[in-house]
Amino acid sequence: MKNPILLKEFRQRMRTSRAPIVVTGYVASMGILTFFLLYENVQGQLYLFQPARSQQVFTILSLIQMIIVAFLTPAFSAGTISGERERRTLAVLLTTPLSPFSILFGKIIASSALQYLLLLASLPLYSLVFLFGGAVPQEVLAVLVFQLFTIFIIATISVMWSTVALRSGWSTVLSYATVSFMIFITGSIGLGLQSLASNPVDADVARYGQFFLSLNPLWIEAELENAVHSGNAEWVLFVIFYFAVACCLLPFCIWRLRPQWLWRIPGLTRVNERNYQ
Amino acid sequence: MIQTQHLTKKFGRFTAVDKLNLYVPEGTVFGLVGENGAGKTTTLSMLATLSTPTSGKAVINGYDVVRHPSDVRRSIGFMPDSFGVYDDLSVDEYLEFYADCYAVPRAVMQKRRQDLLERVQLVDKRHTYVNALSRGMQQRLEIARCLMHNPPVLILDEPASGLDPRSRIELRSVLKELKALKKTVVISSHILYELAEFADEIGILRRGQIAAVASVSVMLQHSSSQRTLWIATKSSQHVLEQALRDVPEVSSVTYFPEGVEVIYQGTLEEQSELLLKLLRRGVRVSQFAERPTDIEALFLRLTSEREEGGSA
Repeated sequence: MKNPILLKEFRQRMRTSRAPIVVTGYVASMGILTFFLLYENVQGQLYLFQPARSQQVFTILSLIQMIIVAFLTPAFSAGTISGERERRTLAVLLTTPLSPFSILFGKIIASSALQYLLLLASLPLYSLVFLFGGAVPQEVLAVLVFQLFTIFIIATISVMWSTVALRSGWSTVLSYATVSFMIFITGSIGLGLQSLASNPVDADVARYGQFFLSLNPLWIEAELENAVHSGNAEWVLFVIFYFAVACCLLPFCIWRLRPQWLWRIPGLTRVNERNYQ
Repeated sequence: MIQTQHLTKKFGRFTAVDKLNLYVPEGTVFGLVGENGAGKTTTLSMLATLSTPTSGKAVINGYDVVRHPSDVRRSIGFMPDSFGVYDDLSVDEYLEFYADCYAVPRAVMQKRRQDLLERVQLVDKRHTYVNALSRGMQQRLEIARCLMHNPPVLILDEPASGLDPRSRIELRSVLKELKALKKTVVISSHILYELAEFADEIGILRRGQIAAVASVSVMLQHSSSQRTLWIATKSSQHVLEQALRDVPEVSSVTYFPEGVEVIYQGTLEEQSELLLKLLRRGVRVSQFAERPTDIEALFLRLTSEREEGGSA
């Protein structure tokens, strides 16, 4: 189905010089990093083909890529709705018959499209890693799909913060707090609990530690690359948890965009509030 | 076409719109006039489904604004008092975007866009980015945008605000075009004379309530018992002065080199009697015309009369 928001956003975002500059800069930086890692890999070594070391290069590259796109996504998504409000274009948009789902979906896809493009544009770099063995195409595909999902979920949460918060400043803070939680907080708590549980062995604490690590995209990605082993398909918990977070934020977005949808629920229709637009 | 019943909007303890009852028949251009803070924008926001009434009811084109907001949105074209435009979109793309929002078929959209750009005199700007247009052009583009889905109702909130005199004149000609399209229009302004040119009816909003509703012609010709007349003569000033002195309805005379301005308390019929009296007394009248009533003064008098009546 045609989404007018998506078409408009693509027109606006992709016709400026910013998009090609970001893609070129990103691919060039990742290319330099890849060549550097591959060069370091073979320096002083007797054999050129060392699959184990090549696997490490793939892991390092994909983890760096995940961190970059995870922190880049809120920069493009956190001001989408609040920015419309600040530029005074939201009121007119809300008088059109577009549903809140249509508005949010268009904003999410449009604001994360550049990051998808970055991932796809950097795929040829992985083919260099293939030359030296180690990573297999299934792993690369799994990592790519997981990275695409992580970008989608970060963009979704950022756009939702942008809808709920009245100002772009606040939505940016909340979006980066979310990414920090995903990467730093869950990682620190998870690894901390795991180390606490190892001596003496405490199964409960270890389980809690594993739970927090399951919410960390870097950990899941490392697991998909067989760099760490937990024995469970932890990406399922990751997907369910963040999907649930997005579902929890959705009613607040509807409350902001289409208060009439909630007119049957007393106290939720914002009757005493000043205009959101 | 538009009807409100006891429409109320409260922000905490403050009542912005207080039990507003309004009826705008189909094809009428209704001007909503009031001072800043009178409740115009809040009323129009509720009609445009942007804010929810605290109580009361508003129906547009047969649809309740709370229960059937999507149908209301398809029935209206809304222009807010303060709006922004999207960067990096051309005039054509801007109109296309809003047509897509209303799922207007492509062939219809292209034809309508051409027609509307001609009406708002922006055909030569169709490939210009909207953020590069002047404020006046953006206002006209917004009116075209409101009409892209051909709604039966237009809600325009202070469309002339922030415009220079030239842009105001250009906008006024576009608004007059709307009247020819037989749309039902609700248009707000705090400047009464701006609406007097093309509105059929004017409602004066005061503290969230309608203080007066009247057709423009009635307001100008019958509600006012005070008229400003311009009289130019070929007789001497002394003769004219003598003639006017004996007319009790004349309350004030101001002399100018080209003629006199007379404040006359009377009806249209009595006004013609004045001309007869002057001619009978030998005044050689070369010009005798009623000057447009100072509608702002009328507005102030009407509202202050009601206030005095209310406080008495």
